[in-house]
Amino acid sequence: MAETSREIPKPLPEITPVTQPFWEAAANGKLVMQHCSDCQSWVWCPRPACVECGSEKLQWTQVSGRGKVFAFTVIREVVGRALRGFAKDIPYVTAWIDLEEGPRICSNVVGCPIEKVAIGMAVDVVFEEAGPGIFLPKFKPRL
Amino acid sequence: MSLRGKAAIVGIGETPADRLGGKPGDPRKITSQYLAWAVRLALEDAGLTKKDLDGQGLAAIYTTNHSQPFWPEEVAALLGITPAVSLAGGNGGASAVSLLGQAAAMIKAGLVDLVLCLAAAAPFSEHGRDRMEPVDTRDFEMPFGVMGPNCKISFVMSRYMHESGMTTDHFGKIAVTARYHATLNPNAYLRKALTLEEYKNGRLISDPIRLYDCVMPANGGKAYIMASPERARTLRKPPVYLLGWGERNNASAGPRFQANPLITGIRESGRAAFEMAGVSHNDIDFLGLYDDYVPIIMLQIEDLGFCGKNDREFFEKTDFTFKGDLPIQTGGGIINCGQPSTTGGMVHVIEAVRQLRGEGGARQVPDAKIGLVTGLGAVNYGKNFGCTAAAILGNSETVR
Ligand SMILES: [Zn+2]
Repeated sequence: MAETSREIPKPLPEITPVTQPFWEAAANGKLVMQHCSDCQSWVWCPRPACVECGSEKLQWTQVSGRGKVFAFTVIREVVGRALRGFAKDIPYVTAWIDLEEGPRICSNVVGCPIEKVAIGMAVDVVFEEAGPGIFLPKFKPRL
Repeated sequence: MSLRGKAAIVGIGETPADRLGGKPGDPRKITSQYLAWAVRLALEDAGLTKKDLDGQGLAAIYTTNHSQPFWPEEVAALLGITPAVSLAGGNGGASAVSLLGQAAAMIKAGLVDLVLCLAAAAPFSEHGRDRMEPVDTRDFEMPFGVMGPNCKISFVMSRYMHESGMTTDHFGKIAVTARYHATLNPNAYLRKALTLEEYKNGRLISDPIRLYDCVMPANGGKAYIMASPERARTLRKPPVYLLGWGERNNASAGPRFQANPLITGIRESGRAAFEMAGVSHNDIDFLGLYDDYVPIIMLQIEDLGFCGKNDREFFEKTDFTFKGDLPIQTGGGIINCGQPSTTGGMVHVIEAVRQLRGEGGARQVPDAKIGLVTGLGAVNYGKNFGCTAAAILGNSETVR
């Protein structure tokens, strides 16, 4: 399909009252997640109340940003109109990263040749600007 | 509440799958046309007429292009029927199996004695808007370039290969078996035999998922009609009874922030179905496992307890063909019949009815009395399927 010269935008998160603290922290280079003051569970993705005990006493808490690749894939084809903006990045790696604190986050492994990415690889968070004031937490191999 | 033997499938309708509208100049056919066609086939099969559906139950499944909040009412208006109870199937690909239990419960309660369950979609002829996505997908997957289920199930498959040591030989055996069955099913879409080499040479879509691991979109409509046992015995075809049923949604094996993605909700919905049916694994003559991707078939066989987790030897030794030890995907499965959005979940229910009536033709499982079917829908963030349902179906001998 012929593409116009203007760049096709990538989808950005919609900032909601529930997710706003996450994106504000990300813009300041901090990875934060909700932690339940009642049952001490981590809660991820962001929720209005604890998905383990139902408490609304959730504290946004900074995590280390250190983790390991739990599973990954190499994206080789665009599926769906909404994601055409990623065509120019193909092939790229999306992954599930298990953070040292426990939560599993879906992100990209960047700064590393695709063939070097492996399950168990140690990674650290880096923030990449994706749109005005929107910084996405991505992961690069730990040196 | 046990639903064992309290309702039976008495009619099935399945339009052939097609991809009309995919190329310029193609004739177009829209969802309502596939719906009407499937319903006519189901009524003919049951020996019922449209008028018989007035004052009865209707269960309409939401699809990607038709998720308006009043969809069951719109379906009633499109078909010209006046239901006494309407249900909506909101469990994606699990809806067809999920509604087996919901329809049977309405029948057992005496609210109605017939329920028409139906779905249709025409993704090639009806170009919908961008779909509404769950907030986790919209905010925490799409901005990272996660390409829908292909990508999410490739995470699951990547981890499965890592933990189990399964290789393309294991996945390929399943893909080749399902395609073999499709060559024997006149209603399948992909009917040319597939070799293990062809499977292995399929292009990578989202590593480790390859071309022949994936389901293919299609246009089509499918329907089934359930009835009370009393009503069922007066109709044209041998009734196929619901013996057991279970559903589990948003299952999480482990803490919700870090679940084991290799254990699906089918472990619990399958256990519930076995308990209700009062049968054991040895009683099951065939499996119809929801298959938008090949590795998911294997995880379900494990979760249903036909083998242990990561049991490579079981997958190597077992003959999964219709004449074999544990027949699976006897009509080719959704992967080979095409996926008209959530309508795909009907494929295994319809095939199970054919098998249990002895209408399986060249792929008939010898002496099939009891079959187990599953449905799966949605893929949750960091896990696997959000919606899961399992049903055990049996012929008349099983309810004596
Ligand atoms: Zn809590």
